[in-house]
Amino acid sequence: MENLQQLFIEAGTLMLAGMVFVFTFLGLLIVFIKVVLVRLATKFPDAIVESRASSKKNNKKQDGNGVSPAVVAAISSAVTQYRQQHSAQK
Amino acid sequence: MDSLKLLWMSTGLANFELGQVIMMLVGCGLLYLAIARNFEPLLLVPMGFGAILTNIPAAGFSEVGGLLHYIYYAGIDTGIFPLLIFMGVGAMTDFGALIANPKTLLLGAAAQFGIFATLFGAIALNFVGLDFSMKDASAIAIIGGADGPTAIFLASKLAPDLLGAIAVAAYSYMALVPIIQPPIMRALTTEDERKIEMAQLRHVTKVEKIIFPLGVLMMTIFFLPAATPLVGMFCLGNLMRECGVVDRLSSTAQNELINIVTIFLGLGVGSKLSADQFLNAKTLGILALGAIAFSIGTATGVLMAKLMNKFAKEKVNPLIGAAGVSAVPMAARVANKVGLEANPHNFLLMHAMGPNVAGVLGSAVAAGILLALVG
Repeated sequence: MENLQQLFIEAGTLMLAGMVFVFTFLGLLIVFIKVVLVRLATKFPDAIVESRASSKKNNKKQDGNGVSPAVVAAISSAVTQYRQQHSAQK
Repeated sequence: MDSLKLLWMSTGLANFELGQVIMMLVGCGLLYLAIARNFEPLLLVPMGFGAILTNIPAAGFSEVGGLLHYIYYAGIDTGIFPLLIFMGVGAMTDFGALIANPKTLLLGAAAQFGIFATLFGAIALNFVGLDFSMKDASAIAIIGGADGPTAIFLASKLAPDLLGAIAVAAYSYMALVPIIQPPIMRALTTEDERKIEMAQLRHVTKVEKIIFPLGVLMMTIFFLPAATPLVGMFCLGNLMRECGVVDRLSSTAQNELINIVTIFLGLGVGSKLSADQFLNAKTLGILALGAIAFSIGTATGVLMAKLMNKFAKEKVNPLIGAAGVSAVPMAARVANKVGLEANPHNFLLMHAMGPNVAGVLGSAVAAGILLALVG
């Protein structure tokens, strides 16, 4: 019986230590994402976003498939607008 | 006459023991669940068949010299198979939803309470005559992590004798997520809470996705080296997926390799489904504790989301808290389905993937803690 009591105390300690550690670890991961990754994202945006930005400068250039970057930009802005309107309706 | 007797003695019929017959029926039951009910068929088919093979009398599949014996010792006793599976899971995991909404990591953390609370349950079973040590209790409790490879990895290290029952419980409950979780989710939330719509997730850049697994690994190295086998392999798989220069390796890890290893893992676990190790009261205790662990994990995930809503400006739908138990992607699908029942325009799938993959990390961390403190 005393042995069981010992085991319960051990389980309690393990539960406390475990939950505190899991929360601390994943909490630190939140800090890591908010501090490091978000900054990295603003410093190094995706190539697609860059090409969209550069396409504004050279919007008369045609890409390999014959679709003008201007057309691609128009379609993507239309999609964005549609999504915004759609979410606003909700 | 002697040779006829010898021939009879070498048949299966003459050597069958009742326990073996029952375990073969258990194997057939697993095959039925996999084939007819589609319960985790990828693992239950080899596992069920392994259970049949290992109980064949006089064939010696699980004795020294037998195929299943070597599969078990080469892959499961060493921990290699679950770790390779974890690498494949990493290669299949997209952390985008988690990086876009990092506070969902708290939901993944809260759901791990199921694991630690079950420790008490396992120890309490000593009162009814089941003799579970702290190592046994830890290995059983990890079922609440709802992560097959993690459960097998930890059980093989802490309680190899209970591995068969733990693996069967873990995979059965993962398959039963759509049945176990919804009543708990509905009981703990109001109709209005289930209707909460969440803002569209931001775009996550490639650089973020590449640095994320490296950051996770770095933190594990600093704070919990005991979890680095699991987290390390997971991060390797994820880095291969996200870096974009080793698509062949990523594809192999999430297809061919994981398929091959799954066959052997299933057979190896099946080899532990022998009558002497499975047909006892401990197995019943493990099955009961597994269900409790799952339910508590689901409940604490939902409650954590409700708690977050008390403080945060941007509300989260508490249903996605249930996905914190991992069981990727089934738990996220369940959250989505229950959310759609309350509000047919509310698609929670992507939002639920955040706590879902956070749960995978959380259960790997919990396994590391148990290994470090109990192992």
